[in-house]
Amino acid sequence: MKAGLFIATAALYAIACILYLFQLTRGSEKAPRLPGTVFVAALGAHLAFLLLEGPSPGELPLADMAQILSISSFGIGIAFLLASYRMNVTILGAFVAPLSLMLFLASGLGSSYAPVPPRVQSVVLTLHIVANIMGLVAFALAFVAGVAYLVQERLLRRRQLTGAFQRLPSLGVLDTIGLRSVLVGFPLLTFGMVTGTFWLVRSGGAQFYVSQALGLVAWGIFAGVIVLRVAAGWQGRKAAVGTMLGFLFTLLVLLGYAVRAAGGGA
Amino acid sequence: MRDFVVVGLSHRTAPVEVRERLAVAPKDLGRELREIAADTGFEEALLISTCNRVELYTTSANPLEATQEAKGMLAKRLGEAAGEGILYQERGVDVVRHVFRVASSLDSLVVGEPQILGQVKEAFDAANEAGTMGTLLGRCFTQAFATAKRVRNETGIAEGTVSVSSIACELAKKIFGNLEGRRTLLLGAGEMGESAARSLRQTGTNLHVINRSEERAQALAKACDGRAVPYERLSIELADADVVIASTASPKFILTPELMKGVVRTRRHRPLFIIDIAVPRDVDPRVGNMDNVFVYDVDDLQQVAEENLAVRAREASLAERIIEDEVESFLSWRRSLELAPTIVALRKRFGQVAEDELRRALPRLQSLSGQDRAVLEAMSRSLVNKLLHQPMTELKAGAGEPDGALLIDAVRRLFALAEEEAAREETSTQPNTEAAITQLTAAATGPTGESK
Repeated sequence: MKAGLFIATAALYAIACILYLFQLTRGSEKAPRLPGTVFVAALGAHLAFLLLEGPSPGELPLADMAQILSISSFGIGIAFLLASYRMNVTILGAFVAPLSLMLFLASGLGSSYAPVPPRVQSVVLTLHIVANIMGLVAFALAFVAGVAYLVQERLLRRRQLTGAFQRLPSLGVLDTIGLRSVLVGFPLLTFGMVTGTFWLVRSGGAQFYVSQALGLVAWGIFAGVIVLRVAAGWQGRKAAVGTMLGFLFTLLVLLGYAVRAAGGGA
Repeated sequence: MRDFVVVGLSHRTAPVEVRERLAVAPKDLGRELREIAADTGFEEALLISTCNRVELYTTSANPLEATQEAKGMLAKRLGEAAGEGILYQERGVDVVRHVFRVASSLDSLVVGEPQILGQVKEAFDAANEAGTMGTLLGRCFTQAFATAKRVRNETGIAEGTVSVSSIACELAKKIFGNLEGRRTLLLGAGEMGESAARSLRQTGTNLHVINRSEERAQALAKACDGRAVPYERLSIELADADVVIASTASPKFILTPELMKGVVRTRRHRPLFIIDIAVPRDVDPRVGNMDNVFVYDVDDLQQVAEENLAVRAREASLAERIIEDEVESFLSWRRSLELAPTIVALRKRFGQVAEDELRRALPRLQSLSGQDRAVLEAMSRSLVNKLLHQPMTELKAGAGEPDGALLIDAVRRLFALAEEEAAREETSTQPNTEAAITQLTAAATGPTGESK
């Protein structure tokens, strides 16, 4: 049942990817709502999977790497739906769906991820994880907007103005999405890092891990992007690249945890 | 049988000097139509007049004669310019197809351009007001509007703009998102620059005009609803603008990398869209490599226009299929209006009722002799004939009138006569009439309800 649902969810995400990409490049006007519908179906299947997956009694929710990845993937989908209805950017599904699919598939490698041992669990840890997942979701949206910005700008500079250029949102809209998402994500990340450090110190583990270092780098990048945007008027490509870099580092943080949980000793 | 006729000329057959002789201003369409109707006795007439075509549509019981008459009238107006092959003509179903293609912008000079539909609607309204719109033209044009909408929605024929001004606007929208409240700076007084500035102004941007000659700047600003700015303020204006249209007659680059470097710094990296319409160019190509500065020159815009046209040409074949589809549906409505099948169907419907009732009554009248039965049967037949006599006479007389189609339509709907009932009778005996009736009523009521 669980495996079947996992496969169904992944398949729906994959179909949504293909449909979105087809719509982006070919612009089939015949079924403009089809990709979105399939994507929502994928989210439905994903939700069912999450409920089925639910933490066993006595176990802290969200403490398992696989679960964190899965919920992040789900959250990105939901955030995208909200953003796409607000800003009319449904076509960004062409970038969101692949990201959701990848994170979801990564969560399926879960067997190697050891959950956090119960003795170190606490409310602070839960806060830390929840804040970071929400931050990750916001940065993922910013990342997607950044990718779309770079694609769109490249098309504009190369004068390839038919097809995808017509369907993608304007540079201005993409830049705004990038800025807003980072502005939402940054406080969450900050809060997540503070609670994480607090938990780490209180649970007695004072060592400094690779993940923490990567997290600091990501935090620094996002702080830099915000400062440069606000103070130096950064816009467009540089801001997009900075944002994407920051998101990649947050993914590396997750990877670092995963490797350590798998006994990599990082 | 009344049929459609169109006579006219377009960009395909006549140069502008000839077209303009026939052109009628939108406000004069009604008067013109009334005159035509008075001159020729056409009961239905519709006149489309745009800068690319003038066409007179009419319907007549004698299409050949009407064609000659319409052609003669237009030729008279053309005077000595009326050469061979300038006026074209179509009759019957070809007119329907032509209307659908024109309204869908498939016959336009720039395929897919959006204005034509509005112009056809204007012509439609004018004919309505002038009282020269009958059932046939009315139905034909109403369906033409629906067809145009379908073509627009289901194909990419209107995708991508094809004039330099509108491409400039489109690109600006793709860069800034919303143009409302943005600022356009028009540099120089080239004609194309002016038209691009006008288009941008219409999208809600503010317009500032800079020219070496203050007077020229003032005049341009007034013409385009903008503000003239002295030339000395160039670098300040560049820093404040979002879109710059450069179209000066300067022989060398005005927007040099050195100048723009300072500008970009002052504008704090806000995106800047520069349209260089001048030949020789006003903008050093190196400016286009700067961050958040996008430069398009005339060739770029022209190339975009050509690419978009190519896309439209591809989509046009899709659109032609939709047109054929719609022509077919119009023809089936048309067939349903033919007099002969209607009369046959009407008789059959009445006869059927009489026969059914007779068959139900006779078994209960066992006492009747064979002779009595014959009398009863004769009476029922005569009843049907008497009842139908007046409607039949009216129908036959009325069908030739301009609104004859409406009359036939009304009869068919009142008595729920199926479209292909008469035809099917001879070919097959499938008991499928009920489905055909519902189908017909749906097809017949839909568009009729739409038309005013």
